[in-house]
Amino acid sequence: MSSIMVVTEHRNRALADVSYQVLSKGRQLADQAKVELLAVVVGSELHAYAKELARWADRVLAVKSHRLEEPLAEPYQRVIAHLIEERKPGIVLMGHSSFAMDLVPPLSVELGAPLATDCVDIFWHDSRVLVTRPIYNGKVNATYSFAQSETVLITGRVGEFPVEEANRQGQIEEIEFAFEEEFDYKKFEGWREAEAGSVDITQAEILVSVGRGIKEKKNLEMFEELAELLGGVVSCSRPIVDYGWLPSERQVGLSGKTVQPKLYLGLGISGAFQHMVGMKGAKMTIAINKDAKAPIFSVANYGIVDDVLKVVPALVDKISELTE
Amino acid sequence: MDIIACIKRVPDTSEADVVKIDPSQRDIEKGRLVFKINDWDEYVLEAAVQLKEKLSGTLTTVTVGPKDWDEVLRRALAMGADSAIRIDQDVSADDPHTVAIILKKAIQRLPYDLVLFGAQSEDFSSGQLGATVAEMLGIPHATLVTGLEAEVGKVHVQRELEAGTLQSYTIELPALLTIHTGINQPRYISMGGIRRAMQKELQVVSLHDLDLSPETLAPMVRLEKLELPPKGKEAELISGAPEEAAGQLAKRLKDAGIF
Repeated sequence: MSSIMVVTEHRNRALADVSYQVLSKGRQLADQAKVELLAVVVGSELHAYAKELARWADRVLAVKSHRLEEPLAEPYQRVIAHLIEERKPGIVLMGHSSFAMDLVPPLSVELGAPLATDCVDIFWHDSRVLVTRPIYNGKVNATYSFAQSETVLITGRVGEFPVEEANRQGQIEEIEFAFEEEFDYKKFEGWREAEAGSVDITQAEILVSVGRGIKEKKNLEMFEELAELLGGVVSCSRPIVDYGWLPSERQVGLSGKTVQPKLYLGLGISGAFQHMVGMKGAKMTIAINKDAKAPIFSVANYGIVDDVLKVVPALVDKISELTE
Repeated sequence: MDIIACIKRVPDTSEADVVKIDPSQRDIEKGRLVFKINDWDEYVLEAAVQLKEKLSGTLTTVTVGPKDWDEVLRRALAMGADSAIRIDQDVSADDPHTVAIILKKAIQRLPYDLVLFGAQSEDFSSGQLGATVAEMLGIPHATLVTGLEAEVGKVHVQRELEAGTLQSYTIELPALLTIHTGINQPRYISMGGIRRAMQKELQVVSLHDLDLSPETLAPMVRLEKLELPPKGKEAELISGAPEEAAGQLAKRLKDAGIF
């Protein structure tokens, strides 16, 4: 193996957080194997990104083309495939983002390269790379090896790899890429940012957050009552929005809002990582869930293992008594 | 419009208190787990049925698995699928690439304008199967679709990204989409629907029928070991009956100055 390649992403004039995270992991793996770390950035106007990436990477490949201004996975796939065939990195690393989900599986097929997605650990074992990924709702960790291949593709879970500051001055290679094909079978129509909505849960000091465990929409009432008693607001996990019980502006997590309240009550929420990424900044977390193995208990200060629909009415009563 | 919906059956581990690794160290003990249709695939079926109702055409649903997997196909038939195909192969220990090869072979033999997958599965959650099959079929794709409208020859889709940001695309057919939860409200299945579904025939296809053999399906990724996740920080648990636990919690919240 001659190198490890990290493919980065940027939006709204900033590199994605997950790109810094996998870049740090890539740096570590490259140092351990004593190989070069390549960072790839693709688009137009790349200078600032390239300079930033050069703090971690030995070499930054900044690939420019007007075709790369739009978020279309297909031209990116051509570019990355070309770079991999040319540079032959042993590992290609990317964040497990919505963009990677569109891009990396087809890349794996095109290159005939093995792929493991959404990994929480990536490590050397007898000069082979192994990965660990959670399966079965995070209740089991599975460690995988790859079939013999010049290159393997790995995507790393968001929030899983700490960013280690670096201060290198890697070389920057500017590459112009000309496409031989049109991508007229797929046309990008535009972005839409999440709407602000009437309630801003990111500003709330106390969040009464509900999940699947509340069972029915009409049960929301008792949680609204609890929120009102505590001077907080009701937020939720993804299923509650999917069911149409609360608007998406109330959703906490990867595809919703990131919150840092003083108190986070996770009620009937099991704590899928997509949810926990959005609430781990809470100063105090209390979880009520009937599943004692629910991952949310691992980030909670206090927990009650029971049915929220039984505990919450009692909690409303007790708080009312104590406030009188 | 001819649609193919690929669905799977998964063990429900979301509230399973005890998930144990079986003695082989290659899988979990599934004996006491309840199996169900993958969450994402309910949204796949609803999206497919809605398109069929609007634009007519055929809806074929496909799964890969042993006999018990028929139950998710029956569900699909009850929701409105015209036909159901089960590829009779236990792939629960296979990597997504292997499953993709099998599905590609099955899909190629069928008429289709649109192929739908769930954006991910609840059990292995790789989120890679649909886009892998799209590349193998040589058709365009979009993953994580939360909005879908079809017209002759093309689809308008909306993808959901991080922090609720949406992207829109127009994609020419044939195409493959992976469907995210929340795109629709899956319909309730009536008893009548289930009864009618029981009378429809399921096609069972072998690997041999697809010109495949187990030897041609070399895995790209191999399972080395399974482990229970390391115990992290544990919450201080408040025990007792609901009233008692609630009382203690209320007191702690008061002590912490919450109210």
